[in-house]
Amino acid sequence: MGQAGTGSIQQYNYDIIKKFAVMALVWGLLGMATGVYIASELAWPFLNFDIPQITFGRLRPVHTTLVIFGFGGSALFATSYYVVQRTCQTRLYSDWMAVFTFWGWQAAVALGAVSYMFGYTQSREYAEFEWPIDLIILVTWVVYFTLYIQTIRRRSQPHIYVANWFYIAFILVIALLHIFNNLAVPVGLFSMKSYSLFSGVQDAMTQWWYGHNAVGFFLTAAFLGMMYYFVPKQAGRPVYSYRLSIVHFWALAFLYMWVGAHHLHWTALPDWTSTLAATFSIMLLLPSWGGMINGIMTLSGAWEKLRTDPIMLFLITSLSFYGMSTFEGPLMSLKSVNALSHYTDWTIGHVHSGALGWVAMVTFGSFYHMVPRLYDTRIYSTRLIYLHFWLATIGIVLYITSMWVAGIVQGLMLRSFDDYGNLSYTFVESVAFLHKPYVWRALGGLFFVSGVAVMVFNMFMTIRRSRSEAAELEARIAAKMARA
Amino acid sequence: MTDWLLWFTRFENSKVVALLLFFTTFCAILVYLYTGRKRAERLESYKYMPLQDDEPDLNAEHGGEKENESDKN
Amino acid sequence: MIKHESIETNAALLVILTLIVVSIGGLVEIVPLFYIDDTVEDVEGVRPYTALELRGRDIYQREGCYLCHSQMIRPFRDELLRYGHYSLAAESQYDHPFQWGSKRTGPDLARVGGKYSNAWHVAHLNNPRDVVPQSIMPNYPWLLQTDLDYSDIQERMRALKRTGVPYSETQQEYDANVAEFGAAAADQLDILHAEENLMHQALTEDYDGQRGRITEMDALVAYLQVLGTMVDFSKYDEGYFADFR
Repeated sequence: MGQAGTGSIQQYNYDIIKKFAVMALVWGLLGMATGVYIASELAWPFLNFDIPQITFGRLRPVHTTLVIFGFGGSALFATSYYVVQRTCQTRLYSDWMAVFTFWGWQAAVALGAVSYMFGYTQSREYAEFEWPIDLIILVTWVVYFTLYIQTIRRRSQPHIYVANWFYIAFILVIALLHIFNNLAVPVGLFSMKSYSLFSGVQDAMTQWWYGHNAVGFFLTAAFLGMMYYFVPKQAGRPVYSYRLSIVHFWALAFLYMWVGAHHLHWTALPDWTSTLAATFSIMLLLPSWGGMINGIMTLSGAWEKLRTDPIMLFLITSLSFYGMSTFEGPLMSLKSVNALSHYTDWTIGHVHSGALGWVAMVTFGSFYHMVPRLYDTRIYSTRLIYLHFWLATIGIVLYITSMWVAGIVQGLMLRSFDDYGNLSYTFVESVAFLHKPYVWRALGGLFFVSGVAVMVFNMFMTIRRSRSEAAELEARIAAKMARA
Repeated sequence: MTDWLLWFTRFENSKVVALLLFFTTFCAILVYLYTGRKRAERLESYKYMPLQDDEPDLNAEHGGEKENESDKN
Repeated sequence: MIKHESIETNAALLVILTLIVVSIGGLVEIVPLFYIDDTVEDVEGVRPYTALELRGRDIYQREGCYLCHSQMIRPFRDELLRYGHYSLAAESQYDHPFQWGSKRTGPDLARVGGKYSNAWHVAHLNNPRDVVPQSIMPNYPWLLQTDLDYSDIQERMRALKRTGVPYSETQQEYDANVAEFGAAAADQLDILHAEENLMHQALTEDYDGQRGRITEMDALVAYLQVLGTMVDFSKYDEGYFADFR
């Protein structure tokens, strides 16, 4: 298109993307390290050290918030600003709005993490932010939405590329979820404490409608947007099927919103609701796999890239994990399977095969593609990308297998009876069994977070080199000028 | 004549009605997308969108080295 | 002829259609829960928490107990033997927010009330491994050392009242509570006497075993000891609750 060429770097607002990308890495490292720490607390409880701020119950929301909203959220802001500018071939609508979303989001994540450590929490999973932070998030999100839509409206391309549909759905749904799940009455204007507007069964349903759709739209739809841009770009070929992406988008957007109640099987939630959710969970397998196939088949005819390009390796592996966890999910939403798996570590393993395997891996791949382009340079070390890939993969495999063992064996122990019809095991016997899987899980986490540390180093060196390159270029131009 | 239409208005049939409605929509979308060669070609042509802004990338991948060489000469 | 292109080239249309498509599921599943009467069972005995129990519940939330302990017993034989009768929706009808939980790193607590003595709870919370050697629960020694802050108990109860919990402020509301929960319970639900009620309950029951002192331990144990004790299941036939499912 006509606008490329000289000055193309200034054509886009890359500054804001760099900011978010760097913060994604910072939060990622911190949040995952926190994850390894709380995993170790479960294996070795003395690590709680009788310090209120670092006990498991207070650090666990710190871990989830830093990785989901800090790492994932910042990565989504960064890539969505990159993708919307490049596919619309226009600069972001407003620079100050972009900066506003940056500070608003970072403030919310940081304040959230600190407030949990000091005991301020709504005790709603993945929505623990107390009401003042919820308001910061709300304002930030409205600005984000406005900025995104306005940028799209001034595009120089006639069409809105499919990646942007997913980002738009993500922004809209998160707004809906955030508002309705956080309806609460504060104790006072100057009190951090609030009580949720709904109670009991209605509150549970609202929370898991939020909880699962945060997975569906924050951790899936938005990262699919990422996939629809970065997989074709890195492969140098268009996405496998545009028509499949249309079906994928509408089916995913429609079906996902029904499935939250599968988190409440066999509870006091009426049966009709959880049955409906289970049915839709099974149907959801189709668009999920449609999307996975669309991504993986993009490489069809160019499979040899997997041997030479570690970035492609990250992206394709992430899609494979996406396929695996979107198969496991519907399986676990069956009431009979759920009776065993619910309340156990199987759920934790499932979440992490999605979060580490899909969300984090697709982000790593996209970042290795995007960051050098932002800084107009090449990656510092390709071998370190390979190292990161293997550390991450070994970490995930250790993590999910140990959690399968933990969850399934605990589920079986708790429901086993002896010949006289008495329970075979006390609860605490199952806890004692969990020690070894918990150690393996912590080790898996350690592998994964070391991989991230390698990535941070690689990125740091890339950015540093781009600075020295720029300085060198300037010096050379200055020398030429002096000679002339 | 139109008595059968009343079937749709009864609450206990709402599940089947909803299923029919959603499934028909789904089929209509599939038929729309996957029939017609022209429509297929047209729709598939949009997938090249992200690949149309490649110029800065070329700079990133090849430009650096070339620049160095030309400078030495 | 409608074309998909008209959606792809029109941001407003894309936004509106997406909003419609994503709203259907939530509307169908959530809204009826507020209107179908059978959603919450009709049982006697479930009352809002007393001032002290409420503060205990706040502490339960603050420490993130819900991350390892569920409060939702499922209708299975092993859970019946281990924890008791399955949980009813009615039992959490005054829970803002619900504390059903999603993970049992420790056992379910929905009916932990009355199962252990106060002294056991105090010892267990202070250092779980003193009473359960294989436990992996953190120690909570600060609960015994920290005086309970109940300066804003009235504000807390008023906030809950705004969400629909029947704490009383007027004579009329008090009378309604007497009719609904009985005089003894209605006294405890009176916002105007919240502080004296709280002190009275903590000092007479002396949950933490520290005479004359009201600590966070008092509040938390008071809360744990009331969990699951409100409904008298001997009053209902087997199968009565199944009609609501």
